[in-house]
Amino acid sequence: MNRPEEGDTLDALLRDQNQYIEDNGFTARVISALPQPCSRFWLRPFLLLGTTTIGSGLAILWLPWKNLPALDLESLHSLNSQMLLPWVLVFSVLASLIWGIIAAVQLED
Amino acid sequence: MSFTDADLIARVLSHKDQNAFGELVRRYQSPVRAFLARMTRGDLHLADDLAQETFLKAWQKLQTFRGAAKFSTWLFGIAFNEFCGAARQKKELALEEMAESPPELEQSPTAPSSNLRLDLTEALKLLNSNERAAVVLCCQNGLTHEETAQILGCPLGTVKTNVLRGKEKLRRWLSPAYKNYESA
Repeated sequence: MNRPEEGDTLDALLRDQNQYIEDNGFTARVISALPQPCSRFWLRPFLLLGTTTIGSGLAILWLPWKNLPALDLESLHSLNSQMLLPWVLVFSVLASLIWGIIAAVQLED
Repeated sequence: MSFTDADLIARVLSHKDQNAFGELVRRYQSPVRAFLARMTRGDLHLADDLAQETFLKAWQKLQTFRGAAKFSTWLFGIAFNEFCGAARQKKELALEEMAESPPELEQSPTAPSSNLRLDLTEALKLLNSNERAAVVLCCQNGLTHEETAQILGCPLGTVKTNVLRGKEKLRRWLSPAYKNYESA
């Protein structure tokens, strides 16, 4: 690692010349030249929430609500696929809807 | 409360926070502009244009900054690349080869002392770009040879040679007033 030698007059002169340059609006010019943040910030959460809602709505429409088997502990323990599969679908639809809402809210932060 | 560079960089990366980036620009505008002013031989308008481009590139490429080197070192590297790009455009690098050995200074050691009355600023302009960059970064900004080699993208030995050669030329070119100052 190099350090300017104490006795080196040239180094001292060079360091003396290294003076602070006032900003004088330079930072403002740089910031104004940066790409502006997207003004349609609502677009992504809107699309995310919209597609999740439509998808969930269609899934709810197509779910056999009237034929949903009653859930009880015995059927849960037996892992009967005929009993559990419709409920797995219901919970998947609800979970995706909740995830869509949370993701949309986080994007807006 | 004062944020570290790492805090500000993290905010820029996670939230595209222009205020955080503005603080980084405020911190480093002076050394970057001064370095580019030296490299452009005192052309302050060109230096400021290149400095602005440097910070815009830094904004675009900040996700590539790994934090292995200091942020200032990374910025100086971008600034030097911007200077090289501008110099190539102006074919200044070719012209600099001529300026490297100014005939009135190198070839007439017995010239009247008035010809040698160059102050340090003027003398720095006579160095070639690699020597000038090495001297300015190492001696003026206090960077290590290793950091300077990283910025200039050249071997460590080349940097050490350029610093020594540059300082030797400066000593030779500077006015007798400097020599008096040195002996005082």
